[in-house]
Amino acid sequence: MPDVNTLIEVALIIVKVVIVSMILFSLPLPLTWLERKIAGHIQLRLGPFRVGPHGVLQPLADMIKLMFKEDITPYKADKWLFRLSPIVAMVPAFAVYATIPFGNTVTVPFINKEISLHIADMNVGILYVLAIGGITVYGIMLGGWASNSKYALLGGIRASAQMVSYEIALTFSCVGVVMIANSLSLVDIVHTQKGAILGILPNWNIFYQPLGFIIFLIAALAETNRIPFDLPEDEGTLAAGYHVEYSGMRFAFFMLTEYLAMVTVSVLSVILFFGGWNSPPLVPETLNNLIPPIFWFIGKVAVFIYFFMWLRFTLPRYRYDQLMTIGWKILLPLSLLNILITGLLLI
Amino acid sequence: MVVEDKFYNLIFAIFILQFREHDMEKLFFLTFAAIAVISALAVVSVRNPVHSAIALIVCLFQVAAVFILLRSPFLAAVQVFIYVGAVMVLFLFVIMMLDIKRAVITSFLPSGRFWIIALLLLLIGEIVFTLADSKLVDIQMAQASLDGTVMEIGKAMFSTYLLPFEIVSVILLVALMAAIVMGRKEIK
Amino acid sequence: MNLLKKIFFIDFIKGLSLTFKYNVSRTITMRYPDEEKWLPYQRFRGLHTLNRDSQGRELCVACELCAKVCPTQCITVIPMEDVGTDLKSVPRGISDRIAKVYEINLVRCLFCGFCEDACPTTAIRMGRDYELACFTLDCAIADKKKLLTPRDIPAEFEGGFVVKAKFIRNDEGIKVKPDLSKKKRWW
Repeated sequence: MPDVNTLIEVALIIVKVVIVSMILFSLPLPLTWLERKIAGHIQLRLGPFRVGPHGVLQPLADMIKLMFKEDITPYKADKWLFRLSPIVAMVPAFAVYATIPFGNTVTVPFINKEISLHIADMNVGILYVLAIGGITVYGIMLGGWASNSKYALLGGIRASAQMVSYEIALTFSCVGVVMIANSLSLVDIVHTQKGAILGILPNWNIFYQPLGFIIFLIAALAETNRIPFDLPEDEGTLAAGYHVEYSGMRFAFFMLTEYLAMVTVSVLSVILFFGGWNSPPLVPETLNNLIPPIFWFIGKVAVFIYFFMWLRFTLPRYRYDQLMTIGWKILLPLSLLNILITGLLLI
Repeated sequence: MVVEDKFYNLIFAIFILQFREHDMEKLFFLTFAAIAVISALAVVSVRNPVHSAIALIVCLFQVAAVFILLRSPFLAAVQVFIYVGAVMVLFLFVIMMLDIKRAVITSFLPSGRFWIIALLLLLIGEIVFTLADSKLVDIQMAQASLDGTVMEIGKAMFSTYLLPFEIVSVILLVALMAAIVMGRKEIK
Repeated sequence: MNLLKKIFFIDFIKGLSLTFKYNVSRTITMRYPDEEKWLPYQRFRGLHTLNRDSQGRELCVACELCAKVCPTQCITVIPMEDVGTDLKSVPRGISDRIAKVYEINLVRCLFCGFCEDACPTTAIRMGRDYELACFTLDCAIADKKKLLTPRDIPAEFEGGFVVKAKFIRNDEGIKVKPDLSKKKRWW
């Protein structure tokens, strides 16, 4: 018979996985509401207002609508792939969170046990996140191809070219952080960002890697198909891009994937460049003891999510050749330069 | 009592890797290997090129999983990152541009099926014979731990295998330049 | 200079600060059915009203000019003698003629305002009610009783305001009742 400790370990892992995936599943609901609210207020409107106070129940209403909508499979579509691809897109978006550390260890009151707030601390964490995150594009591509529609196919092709171009810059911009932390593990990367520079500034990577951060942010925007680079679903020219033929829950899966990708990117930029769960140094000690580190983490992520939404209603969309120019001719050389400078400074 | 023990083992074997480590690993390896072989067969036997590309992706994923079983998560991540994340995307990118209907009709084994099969058997025989003769069979699985593989790989690459590494990069550079030259339009 | 602008994303930051300013500033959405309502100007041509003079007598003398001038012929007027049935009663109109039936078919009416111009006694006027939708076709015909009832917005009230309003939903239908005391210009 296995001993009790192993049993608890296993139970903890299962509980963590369940909790994280439940949170991730329900996260798009508040995020859609928030996005529409921010869109409204930036355009001097109110946004959703009628379902519930300030429209907070609107996403629930939308979800019910999407569940009861007819699930249409287009004529002459590749049925098997058409049904599979939303799930292919969705699974990696969840799988990424296996390595992401949400906070420091906490002691759970009842079983008196220290728990680390991550599912697994892989020693190739960041590589895993970037690799799995890149797989999401298959769902988009195959969905676009299987729809047997011109718009969807163009969206899929655009998505694939865009992903391949920007993944290089994205990865290279992370290399600088990895060089500073001397580790690929996300937990170690956060641990190296403890403390302060000169007593005032937090010891976050953003101050060592400003160029890397900018490249990361731009490339991440392109990877998540957010607005200045949302050419795969360009409403202006492609109707809705790769998900033009999808309806009902399958469409909802694509939207879920997209919001999760945005959350993933926010989480990654907090972990890599903004010190993860570390609090800024000038916060008084009493306050610091009061607020658990995970709240710092969530707060920073929330700021980033707001930033992405804010960006969406500020910038217009790039043309496709501009997108490629930015990716290959500006971001890639700059990210290589960033690695070079970091290497020289570290010696 | 014994029966009870076995029952518990069975239940916990589903969840825990540590428990009865080698049995569990064997089971996982067999699963991954079987899926890899089946999907590899599907790559060459499926008619639709997009489907065979997907089968290839599945195959590469299984190989990555086998890498994890071999205690090298770095290689697994790189496998997923480069082959699944980049190379296959480009493959699919090209395949999606094809006229699938014509590609489906085209037969990939036009004639001389006999010779192809004979050659295939010959190759398989060769592999089996060399493997049986070589020392590879006796070598134990490397007992590298899950930590520190990245650093070891890096050190090996930049000290022991520096020359091959550099040669590979030069070859890649040449290939890159050749692709650019070929892709460039003629300017008069 | 241009290069510096590009390196430090000056234009980008300008754009972001502008949108942020809008994000935190007041919205201009009119919360129409729930909390606010637009009151049109006096010149607005909404649902008709039949008016009374200062002593409460009906101004309409059933001359049928409005029915004649109406391009869609949506007004039906049937006159009768004012003191006919009950001799003791005070005359209801200003002369000895009054409308027995005065009906406007709102489905056909195109709110041109010709009836208003034709009326010699300023009895029919275009009001300012614009919420004319309802659940059944009964309400599509405005009878005399409905036209004579005083409206929420008196004719003297200067329009062009957004006022606080209350959204009422009952069996008869949906109504937005304005509260004339709290008014503000929309812009």
